[in-house]
Amino acid sequence: MSDAKAVADRLVKSKRLNALLTPSKELRSALTAQAAAARPTGVLYGMPVAVKDNICTLEFTTTCGSRILEGYRSPYEATAVTKLKAAGALIAGKTNCDEFAMGSSTEHSAYGRVVHPLDKTRVPGGSSGGSAALVGAGALPAALGSETGGSVRQPASFCGVVGIKPTYGRVSRYGLVAFGSSLDQIGVLGRSVHDAARVLSVISGRDPRDATCEDRDPLRLPTVPESLQGFVIGLPREYFPAELDPAVRRACDRAVRLLRDLGAAVREVSLPHTAYAVPTYYVIAPAEASSNLARYDGVRYGPRFDGHADLRGLYRATRGQGFGAEVRRRILVGTYVLSAGFYDAYYRRAQQMRALIAQDFRNVFDRGVDLLFTPTTPSPAFKAGEKLSDPIAMYMSDIFTVTANLAGVPAISLPIGRVKGLPIGGQLIGQAFLEDEMLEAAYALERVVPATDEA
Amino acid sequence: MSVSRDDVLRIAQLAELDVEEDALPDVAEQMSRILDYVAQLSAMPASTNGTVKTFVPGPDAIRFRPDEVAPWPLAFGPAAFAPAFKEGFFVVPKLGQFE
Repeated sequence: MSDAKAVADRLVKSKRLNALLTPSKELRSALTAQAAAARPTGVLYGMPVAVKDNICTLEFTTTCGSRILEGYRSPYEATAVTKLKAAGALIAGKTNCDEFAMGSSTEHSAYGRVVHPLDKTRVPGGSSGGSAALVGAGALPAALGSETGGSVRQPASFCGVVGIKPTYGRVSRYGLVAFGSSLDQIGVLGRSVHDAARVLSVISGRDPRDATCEDRDPLRLPTVPESLQGFVIGLPREYFPAELDPAVRRACDRAVRLLRDLGAAVREVSLPHTAYAVPTYYVIAPAEASSNLARYDGVRYGPRFDGHADLRGLYRATRGQGFGAEVRRRILVGTYVLSAGFYDAYYRRAQQMRALIAQDFRNVFDRGVDLLFTPTTPSPAFKAGEKLSDPIAMYMSDIFTVTANLAGVPAISLPIGRVKGLPIGGQLIGQAFLEDEMLEAAYALERVVPATDEA
Repeated sequence: MSVSRDDVLRIAQLAELDVEEDALPDVAEQMSRILDYVAQLSAMPASTNGTVKTFVPGPDAIRFRPDEVAPWPLAFGPAAFAPAFKEGFFVVPKLGQFE
């Protein structure tokens, strides 16, 4: 199959990015076998789609970028992957990511950092950095990622590609390795809004194997609208702070002018609890992670690190050596905030704040606003190593993305300009299960925005 | 600093996680910074404290699926992961061989 060979060649050529964890030889034979078996009637027939390494596949190992799952082969595959295959897509290997999707730069992988496709001194964002870098380098039209706090949109923004986080419950989480179960959602990175959207429409829809997946039909894709007449787009003032990178602000101003030119009514709105979103997230996500990651004990999955006399010693040695620094830190923070005496001060308060943040969104949407437009990240891609020693600085790069995860609403990032050659992303946030409206606006904006021009 | 060395050891024990002795000061310092940072949640207005319901996205009611017993096929047969497997059976040591 020459198509499979061409796909493999393009991916192998991007090796310098360290974005793909699947060895070249294995990738070639898997692609050839899949191409021979793919149904020609599928809507994604022949389309290569790489899959983030925290999504289970039968063809390849699933390591979550961690030593604790080195060489692990899942006995089942994710529903999203099954649906992709049924639509004729070729699963083009597993992409590198921050360990267990914890990170914003793809520097926290046990298999080495991923390199930004346009500037090797910078990070591609994270945690779906491998997927974003491959799509950004032109090696693939689309790839699956996962989101807990912005892990699709933030790297999409850094790498100049489109990233969609669907509504919580739109896509089955069956086979997505759990990090923060009330926040996790599989998302899509694509070369264009349409590439990402058509993959999303294939993987969306009900799944009896995931009780949190809504009983709904797959997403129907909208057509590209002539204008955005009738759309009301809100600009939340908390997302345009004084310290916002000036180039990001210029690119956003230009995109807003274009949205107005398309006929949309644009008005300023307020989401007053935005300032609490990052602290809320960094209580809830580690709390859920500390519980979800309790299963990695050296007995049930992956390698074990012995040298201890008893079972608990085995657990502690395996977990202490198998997890990287960031994962260990989050497990410890999560355990701390859930422990007796601290639960009310941290976890309960964070749950309450999450309700207020979700209410902020309902309030603006109830007042006739259809969509929100914001920058995706406060700055373009940063230098490798720049934020490694300062976890809070790293966490702040998710400041404009975590709110959509906390509220469970859909959001999309698309390229809206560049600064010194580095891409800048703009974000549209929609109402729950109204991805079609969000995509309509994204289609319209994508057609007119000078995505590769300096802002 | 809100987290001491002993706190880290206590939490690490709860989390079943070894933390190396020489890494302790760094871990304590970084945990303190993170916990001090998230402590701003306590600035939440007192009027809303306690009256706000918590929020979890997803379906309003838990959906149940029919409780049917069906075969759940393994992706790999037992032959692929059992230490010894022959003609449909797991091969185990004879009972008499145990002390």
